[in-house]
Amino acid sequence: MEVLLTVEGLEKSFKEKKILKGISFEVRKGEIMSILGPNGAGKSTTIRNIMGIMYPDAGSITFHHHTGKEIPRNKIGYLPEERGLYKNVNVMDILLYLAELKDYPADKAKERALHYLKKFDLEGKEKVNVEELSKGMGQKVQFISSIIHEPELLILDEPFSGLDPVSQELFKEEIRSLADGGTAILLSSHQMNLVEEMCDRLFMIQRGQKVIYGTLDEVKKEYANFKCTIHGKNSYQDLEGIEGVQRVEQKEEVSILYLEKDIEPALWIKNIPNNIHIQELKLNRISLHEIFIDIATDRNLLKEASELHA
Amino acid sequence: MRNAMKVAKWEIKRNMKNKSFLIGLFLTPIIIVAFMVLGSIFGDSDSSEAETTYVYINDGLGIFPSLQGTVEQASFNWEMELTDIPEKEVTSVLEDTENTAYVFVDQRALEQGSVPVFTSEEINPYFMDQVQLLEAPLKAMQMQELGVSNEVLTVVSSNIELEAHSPDDTAEEESHSDTSNPENEIARMIPGAFAGFILISIVFTGMAIFQSASQEKKDKIAEIILSSVTPSELMQGKIMGYFVLGIIQTAVSLMIVLPVLAWRMDINMLEYLLVPELALYVLIAILGYLLFASIFVGIGATMSDITTAGNFQGLVMMLPFLPFVFIGPVLSDPSGLWAQIGTYLPFTSPGVLLLRLTILEEWPWLEIIISLVILVASIWLFMKLAGKIFKVGILMYGKNASPAEIWKWIRA
Repeated sequence: MEVLLTVEGLEKSFKEKKILKGISFEVRKGEIMSILGPNGAGKSTTIRNIMGIMYPDAGSITFHHHTGKEIPRNKIGYLPEERGLYKNVNVMDILLYLAELKDYPADKAKERALHYLKKFDLEGKEKVNVEELSKGMGQKVQFISSIIHEPELLILDEPFSGLDPVSQELFKEEIRSLADGGTAILLSSHQMNLVEEMCDRLFMIQRGQKVIYGTLDEVKKEYANFKCTIHGKNSYQDLEGIEGVQRVEQKEEVSILYLEKDIEPALWIKNIPNNIHIQELKLNRISLHEIFIDIATDRNLLKEASELHA
Repeated sequence: MRNAMKVAKWEIKRNMKNKSFLIGLFLTPIIIVAFMVLGSIFGDSDSSEAETTYVYINDGLGIFPSLQGTVEQASFNWEMELTDIPEKEVTSVLEDTENTAYVFVDQRALEQGSVPVFTSEEINPYFMDQVQLLEAPLKAMQMQELGVSNEVLTVVSSNIELEAHSPDDTAEEESHSDTSNPENEIARMIPGAFAGFILISIVFTGMAIFQSASQEKKDKIAEIILSSVTPSELMQGKIMGYFVLGIIQTAVSLMIVLPVLAWRMDINMLEYLLVPELALYVLIAILGYLLFASIFVGIGATMSDITTAGNFQGLVMMLPFLPFVFIGPVLSDPSGLWAQIGTYLPFTSPGVLLLRLTILEEWPWLEIIISLVILVASIWLFMKLAGKIFKVGILMYGKNASPAEIWKWIRA
């Protein structure tokens, strides 16, 4: 797939603190690429640097379809994390203004605005004052404003925050269909379940550094080891002694065994010693969600996995 | 620049569709007119000068026509009539009258030099001063009675004046004769007052810039806008947009105020208004606007909310009112030290310059040019600074920037 945006070695400091420490990734045409990370990891800062709202201290940002130093603002759609629209103006006016700022022809913008308003269940609201919209409706209008000019690259900062499940689904479908239509999409989020369902590739960031970067499948294969949850009264030593167990977490009668990367699940189950009490046993891969929590809470599961891997 | 125009257009459109702006647009001139009309209504009822004083003369000397002539010349608002009421009955007659006086001119005036004047309780407070004017014809008659010739009379009755003379006396005399002409003074006041009005009304509208910048932050739309335009384009757009809004405000105000003013003052406004001086006045007003607009837009970007303005921001907001401090000193001495300081200080120079140029007969061209250069240079400087502040400030949510932070952005 064609690469649209390359970010290379991005660095940024606020005061003395380094927020981004050498971030590199690329976004391709027709794919959904997500930046994941806990609050304060540097997601929004990365995005703001791409948008030219901030300037990086070091590193480069390249838009491949564009020559010249200026950021091709007209070809980018942007939904910032901080949500807001002008109060006291009606929905259509603000959509047309934002489209005009992107140099998009007004008649086409109007047509598209009506189309999307209908699609997002806001038909007939074009003359309504922004103030009178609910939070969710406002968010939909903002989303429309970010795609009204048919951008080549769409950057969405936490697009799902504050949305109800129905709207989340609506957004998800729309984002997917835009990607299928060839738009390159960069989205940041910390809602792992949604990301897991829709993204093609992901970039996980913690304290301004890359933690994971790759396609969803690769990441899952690479990092998502098996874990075995056992209900039953067992001693920590017994469990730790089982072959292929990396780490054990025990909470009363529930024990979670984190397994080494290259175990054979079937074989491993066979090798569980007879003295282990099992009321219930569950063997599954660690989910993205768990990897995320792990990173966010600074446990070392991933580190171990990658060290072992290395 | 094209993007800045789009922003400007949007700001104009947004405000013109906004009810509170529209109300303010028409309310401002209506309030001005209301005060003008109210003021003159109260003024009318206050001045007793307008009321006629009835003066009855009991003429025992046949001097009435001469007295009448004197009063006519002084153009007092007197209604003079002859009467033959005796002195004893006067008190009872006066009891239930207003603005009435009885003057008894008889032999006593010539012999003892005293003329009894009886007035009603309510009478023009200046009447007793006015009535002294009657002394002259009586004195003349007295002299004539004593056989003094007309020639001697003229010499005796003329005062001897001690005149002061200094080297630049002639020049002053010239300018005196000019300024003392009230017609001329009004003619020079009008364009200056007009420009002052433009300055004030666009500076006030310019304060809306400040609102608009902080509102943009409060509504959190700044980031969306900045994904399409650069911060300096956004800033320029705002400054241009609010300038046009200020002009609209001025135009609407003038359309309402000017006809009323012309009617009340009974002069042809346009004739006095459209003079070459106006161009310079308007230029000064526009420069003043640009200076304050750049300050306001920068400061607006440092505040999360107008209600949380800190001391620093509040202080900056007061800058446009600084020229008022200079009004007194400048009026008393339009070429004095204070006037010059005010002329060279960028924050006060638009106001003080307008004031001085309206008063001064001879324009101090050198001072004007120097102060315009200072003004233009400070506009350039403040636009730069505002740009830097705006760029960082507009994206800072939730708190006001401290002066220390602002200083750091400026140095960055």
